[in-house]
Amino acid sequence: MSGKGFFVRRYKELGWAYKEFESKPAIRINTMNANEEDLLERLESLGVVLEKIPFLENGYWVCRSEFSVGATSEYLLGLYSIQEAAAQIPAILFTGLENKTILDACAAPGGKTVQLADLMQNAGAIIALDAERRRLAALSNQLERCRVRNTIVYLLDARESSRLNIKFDNILLDVPCSGNYVTDKNWFSRRTLEDVEKNAELQRQILTEAFRVLEVDGEMVYATCSLEPEENELNIDWAIKTLNLGIEEIKCHGEKGLTNVFSKELDTSVENCRRIWPSKTQGFFVCKLKKRESS
Amino acid sequence: MKPIEDFVSRFNASISLDDNLIIKKENRYFLINERLGSQIRKDFFYAGAYLGKVKDGIFFPSFILLSMMAEGRANKIMVDSKTAWLFICGRDIFKQGILNMRGSKGKGDYALIVNQHNECLGFGKILCNIDEGAEKNEVIVKNISDIGDFLRRER
Repeated sequence: MSGKGFFVRRYKELGWAYKEFESKPAIRINTMNANEEDLLERLESLGVVLEKIPFLENGYWVCRSEFSVGATSEYLLGLYSIQEAAAQIPAILFTGLENKTILDACAAPGGKTVQLADLMQNAGAIIALDAERRRLAALSNQLERCRVRNTIVYLLDARESSRLNIKFDNILLDVPCSGNYVTDKNWFSRRTLEDVEKNAELQRQILTEAFRVLEVDGEMVYATCSLEPEENELNIDWAIKTLNLGIEEIKCHGEKGLTNVFSKELDTSVENCRRIWPSKTQGFFVCKLKKRESS
Repeated sequence: MKPIEDFVSRFNASISLDDNLIIKKENRYFLINERLGSQIRKDFFYAGAYLGKVKDGIFFPSFILLSMMAEGRANKIMVDSKTAWLFICGRDIFKQGILNMRGSKGKGDYALIVNQHNECLGFGKILCNIDEGAEKNEVIVKNISDIGDFLRRER
């Protein structure tokens, strides 16, 4: 069960007609380091043409630039980050991050960690984990470049988060996933349904551990860049039935989550999730979960 | 924290760092706040503001520490935009690229290099007494460290 035809037929069955898309580069302004208006003026003077992303407050698509926007002094000074548009959505879904203790459970390479720090204006505390040592170097570089000061990084698998003995106000689960064909040109030849199911199992293990370390009434944002329902709606349906989590309504870019997947009826609240089929952004899935009091 | 204090003093800089909030992990130094201090475990990888590391007895500052130093009093050299770009690419600084200087200008001194927005791009060593009429196409400041390092690290 693999190959382009197999996956494209699945997408059709889920109500979406496959199309080729090129991922559009995007940046996010780090407001803790830069005044947005001044920075836009500086980038414009360098010949960088930007377009405001309508569903994000500090996000811009890079429409034209004669050089890499990852090699300007403004980038190296941490005034902005390069972050795909859909990937900028999860961090903005939390309600009030001020002075909170946040877990970024699968943090490397750190784009969303920096975004959380920016939203928190470098106050409060972020605990950032990743299971691979080599990825921590990239994460540390991002934190240094963007002058993040409120984060502690551990080499730790998200499935062992309870070893930290901390209850978190909020948790970001940008879980390892199968990805999608927009950002990986060889996706269809590299992936099988078996891979997808294996990732979905890993994601359920991470969800279970994150639930343990989340405060009652705490918010958990779950995100993948996968189009496969096993890693998205089916996992969230499982989570709300198994872990006593509720799905919060969110207002953001994307379509309602699917509540009927390959003839399987899911909890109606799964429609509160957001599924983003590739178009202006890469493929993405995001939802906000809340830990119920009675659990 | 002697290595940091010694390094900062070479710039005639003044920053106050609370020793109780500086933690050392192997050869690396981090500045944390009380909030992080209450939650940190010994096996952390990175924490708070990274200040720099000691290698073979030499202190290598982080760009966070340099930008903290640039916020206060310190030897500083402001350069024009072309020189700023060349400096980030690892090049030394010619006299003609310097817009203004603050603090010591003596041979052998260290100075922070800032752009026209007063943002710290790195630091260098002054190679000759600048007031003593160096030629405009003479190298005045040797590049020691610059923010282009973030790109070089990823290669």
